[in-house]
Amino acid sequence: MLRTALLLILRRLPVAMPILLLVSFLLFAALRVLPIDAAAMSLPPTATLAEIAQKRHDMGLDQPIPAQYVIWLGDALHGHFGQSIALRRDAGALLANGLPTTIELAISAMIVASVLGVGGGLLLFASRGTWGEAAGDLLSTLLMSVPDFMWALLLLLVFGVMVPILPFMGRLDAGLTRPSVTGFLMVDAALTLQPAVLWSVIRHMVLPAVALGLAFAPPIARVLRSSLLDVYHDDYIRQARLRGVGETRILLCHALKNASLPTLTLMGVQFGFLFGGTLLIEVIYGYPGIGNLMVDAVRNADLPVIQAVGMSYCVVVIGISMATDAAHQLLDPRSHAR
Amino acid sequence: MSLLRAEGLEVSTTLDGRQARVLRDLTFSLQPGQILGLVGESGAGKSMIGRAIASDLPAGFAVSAGSLRYGHEDLVAMPRARRQGLLGREIAFIPQEPMASLNPVLTVRQQMDEHLRRIGVTDRLARARDLLAQVGLPEPDAVLQRYAHQLSGGMCQRVLIAMAFASDPKLVIADEPTTALDVTIQARVIKLIADLQARSGTGVLFITHDLRLAAQICDDVLVLYAGRPAERGPARALFKAPRHPYTASLHLAAPGMTGPRHVLLALPHQMPGLRQIAGMTGCRFAPRCPVVQADCTVTEPVMAAAGHGTACHHPDLAGQIATPEAAPIQPAAKRAPEVLRTSNLRRVFRSRGFFATSETVAVADADIVVHEGEFVGLVGESGSGKSTVARLVAGLDQPSSGQILLDGQRDMPRALRRRHVQMVFQDPQSALNPRHRVGDIVTQAMRVDGHSQPADRTARAAELLAQVGLSPEIAGRTPSQLSGGQRQRVNIARALCVVPKLLVADEIVSGLDVSVQAQLLDMLLELRERLGFAMLLISHDLAVVRYLCARVVVMHRGAIVEQGDTDAVFTAPQHDYTCTLLEAVPPD
Amino acid sequence: MNAPWLRSGRVIAGAVLLLAVAVCAVAAPALAPHDPGDQDLLNILLPPSWMNGGDPSYPLGTDSLGRCVESRLLFGARTALEVAFFSALGAGLVGTILAHVAGYFGGAVDWVIGRAVDIWMSFPPVVLSLILMVGLGTGTDKVILAIILVDWTRFCRVLRSEVITVTRRDYVSAARLLGYSHWQTVTREILPATRPLLITLVSLEMGIAVVVEAILSFVGLGVGANQPAWGQMIADARQNVATSPLGLVLPMLAIFLCVAGFNLLGDGLRRALDSRQTAVRSA
Repeated sequence: MLRTALLLILRRLPVAMPILLLVSFLLFAALRVLPIDAAAMSLPPTATLAEIAQKRHDMGLDQPIPAQYVIWLGDALHGHFGQSIALRRDAGALLANGLPTTIELAISAMIVASVLGVGGGLLLFASRGTWGEAAGDLLSTLLMSVPDFMWALLLLLVFGVMVPILPFMGRLDAGLTRPSVTGFLMVDAALTLQPAVLWSVIRHMVLPAVALGLAFAPPIARVLRSSLLDVYHDDYIRQARLRGVGETRILLCHALKNASLPTLTLMGVQFGFLFGGTLLIEVIYGYPGIGNLMVDAVRNADLPVIQAVGMSYCVVVIGISMATDAAHQLLDPRSHAR
Repeated sequence: MSLLRAEGLEVSTTLDGRQARVLRDLTFSLQPGQILGLVGESGAGKSMIGRAIASDLPAGFAVSAGSLRYGHEDLVAMPRARRQGLLGREIAFIPQEPMASLNPVLTVRQQMDEHLRRIGVTDRLARARDLLAQVGLPEPDAVLQRYAHQLSGGMCQRVLIAMAFASDPKLVIADEPTTALDVTIQARVIKLIADLQARSGTGVLFITHDLRLAAQICDDVLVLYAGRPAERGPARALFKAPRHPYTASLHLAAPGMTGPRHVLLALPHQMPGLRQIAGMTGCRFAPRCPVVQADCTVTEPVMAAAGHGTACHHPDLAGQIATPEAAPIQPAAKRAPEVLRTSNLRRVFRSRGFFATSETVAVADADIVVHEGEFVGLVGESGSGKSTVARLVAGLDQPSSGQILLDGQRDMPRALRRRHVQMVFQDPQSALNPRHRVGDIVTQAMRVDGHSQPADRTARAAELLAQVGLSPEIAGRTPSQLSGGQRQRVNIARALCVVPKLLVADEIVSGLDVSVQAQLLDMLLELRERLGFAMLLISHDLAVVRYLCARVVVMHRGAIVEQGDTDAVFTAPQHDYTCTLLEAVPPD
Repeated sequence: MNAPWLRSGRVIAGAVLLLAVAVCAVAAPALAPHDPGDQDLLNILLPPSWMNGGDPSYPLGTDSLGRCVESRLLFGARTALEVAFFSALGAGLVGTILAHVAGYFGGAVDWVIGRAVDIWMSFPPVVLSLILMVGLGTGTDKVILAIILVDWTRFCRVLRSEVITVTRRDYVSAARLLGYSHWQTVTREILPATRPLLITLVSLEMGIAVVVEAILSFVGLGVGANQPAWGQMIADARQNVATSPLGLVLPMLAIFLCVAGFNLLGDGLRRALDSRQTAVRSA
């Protein structure tokens, strides 16, 4: 099963790689045509025009964009993403710090969203034909009108300020030393057997993960509900019932697997959006991931960092969509024929 | 004691605040080991009976009077748990859509295993293999590993039949079990059901729209009309000497495969729907009855309790209904110009995989000729490539190789082509844009250049609708407000707006009830007389082709296996496949 | 004409909410007690007038620079609706045209447009709009342009599959056989079928645009500092969340009501106009 899944993911690489390359080029080209002079920015304001010209030459900025891109790509493949103009640090190193943090947050949020979404979808489905159906329907529409960053601010207001029971700044209490093995703090804390650190990490994770999860659960719930409703119109459900199969078994063994297919497709797209949503959540909760990095870089027009962070968002989103595609294919025998 | 017994059963729903009875006065009994046929056109209420047995009536419908007993037990008042215990064990169902009735994401083995576990089989894999072998599936082991989409419709139906008979049930309800299948498969599936039924002494309730099929397989038959039994009796007797005008009409409305061709009896209008039934007095068939008498609209006839019974005030009149022999179809004059000639027509579908390209030859080297004013039938089963030929001829698809000559011309320009060939599509649901009005749909061809005046179009629409037997006020309706037969008429009218030389008609009567089909077939013959177009009629129904076409082309797996004059081909077929096809048709 | 959508509770509720927001936006100069940019540094962080220490001339209090919260909310509605309207219109137009071209013609055109959507979709929308704002600079027109450039894919993706479904219907083939040109076929046969979905998507997109504008203004890359915007109010109020939480809650409430209005309207229209609900699901 795992091998098949891996194989399915690998089979998608030939499609994903060109897209990734194209994306990186477009991003690169877009950032180069901006009216921003990276050379001037990386020198002190007192620099002369000649010095700036020299710097441009050193940075390769006087070459045509495709040539610049090839140089950048060669460096990037070796793990060099250039020097941050604002922070004077290697963009790659900044990324290595932030990316695991963001991924950890995103995965936690995806788990929250999935649990709430699937649970909510089943509840909505179970309430069909009762007054709860209309109420649940309306509630889900209203919940969908609260975007992730508003959940974050609301939760912060309620559980951080009004009833201060959860921390809302950073990812670790001050005074604790962060272990570093993999970069994923939760994993590291568990690996190095530091329950105090693990507890602190989890407590810091609750608000941001729940905020994101709450924002992305309603669409999942609605799709699961409507897929289940569709599936229950299908002949095979009726035929199973006519064979005397019980309702619970029909739901669990016959309907859910079929209804999960469209749900999974949506989750692939939603999780891509969710990963983008981490950006604002990180800003609000002072979470040191790539979102904060990105916002700072954007404010400072720090091109190498924007390029590197932008690309890492793309890589993760493409990875998510590859994984959901593979899962879809694994679950749907009809897709093998294609 | 009877296995299944209905006594004055009534199913109703509420419509506009009034009670509407979908089924009424239904009385029948099924003995163990017997096959009882329930025959009726769509809307007759025949499927409601199967659903009432499983307590699976659509929302809003309920049994409102009478009783339905299984042995000693009352199926209507039965507790849910008891019914569920019976289903699958003592009462089994064979569905109408076999492909859709197997779960697409579970293998055959998983689904059989679930069922066998439930009915208490211990050695389930061996039993599953056994059962699949019994229903004539070669390589049961391979089938067990498959999913529904990897099997044909016939194979799926065999799997479902194997599951239905796995528990040696006392009662099997087969609801149109062969409607979705090809005619040769249908014959085999019917034989299989009969064999299994005889072997295990099961009682079978066989629900169908096809009187001929019922006569072939059933012991007794009950004919339903508009939710009420019209006639009940031993299958042969009822088929040979009907005592209800409706049964007689059903018989005369279906074209035959043997003997002289009779003009089809086309009943006027259509079966009353739920709304109309509610306000009717007297016999529900009276408005369409060819031998209606004055008393028919006053009191409702009641069926005798036993024997060959009929719900008709004048059962002796049923035998008097007859239709004259039809004029023989004139074959095209030898020198008539050709409107269509295809030579070496070939269409190959390529599906590109990641590593390999697979090719499917849909049409292989087809040579078809249609002369001016001639109706040519193109018959074959699903997958034979006949619909691909239709699309190629109409110009909706491009051939991989070979030629299509229209009026002797290759590559006719689009502007000319649309006056030369038009197509009538199979599914009027899909063929009529639900967002346009009928009047706009039939005059679509006039809007192409944008020169036509609205008044001209209105006049032409009325003219066209009259030609296809529809009243002019229909022009203001949308397709969803029409019946199936009316939609198909609109579909034909649109293609005739600019009368083409050749009409390509793809299965245009396949989804329709036999009485509506008869109206359409006669209409086509009449239109040909008046307008003189030629037609390439694609159909799986040999009898329809025999009724309409002077010549027939038989296709099998993309290739033309036989063609010639219809009578010659059907009386003395040369090719093995044509023989198989002809043998599979239920006898007249 | 008794259109079915007029009888939907959701459509009415959504329309009423939006009408209220629209009235606020149009009549903002008349309704607002102050100029939204006027700073009253002696009266900063005032609570609403009905609370202790409130000032009657600032009905909803003031922010950290002493600006009138109510006035800023009212003028913020202008910004929100302007962005919502124009960006949904633009994104809808671009996405609809590309979706119909791709879905109707299929083949290579479809492949190219499909890959373009893939590439766009590999950026999270928030990230892509941020990057675009780097290049475009701040301003209402820039925000609208950025949203159009990001969100056309939402229309394209969903409508394309709908167009493909409709194109496969026999009435499209029939229209071609009767001599309709491609243009006639698309406008007369396909567009009427995709229109309900399009209307729904436009309504939902307006809600999304309101949120995106708020997000961009929140991180300071939105309509610009001189124009009052709800997102900006949230960002400002965040600094003083402990002392005056209402300053944070009010703009969030405004966003919620506005987005809920668009969502209710879109949801209601979808139910009323389109019996098939499958297509919007993946939106």
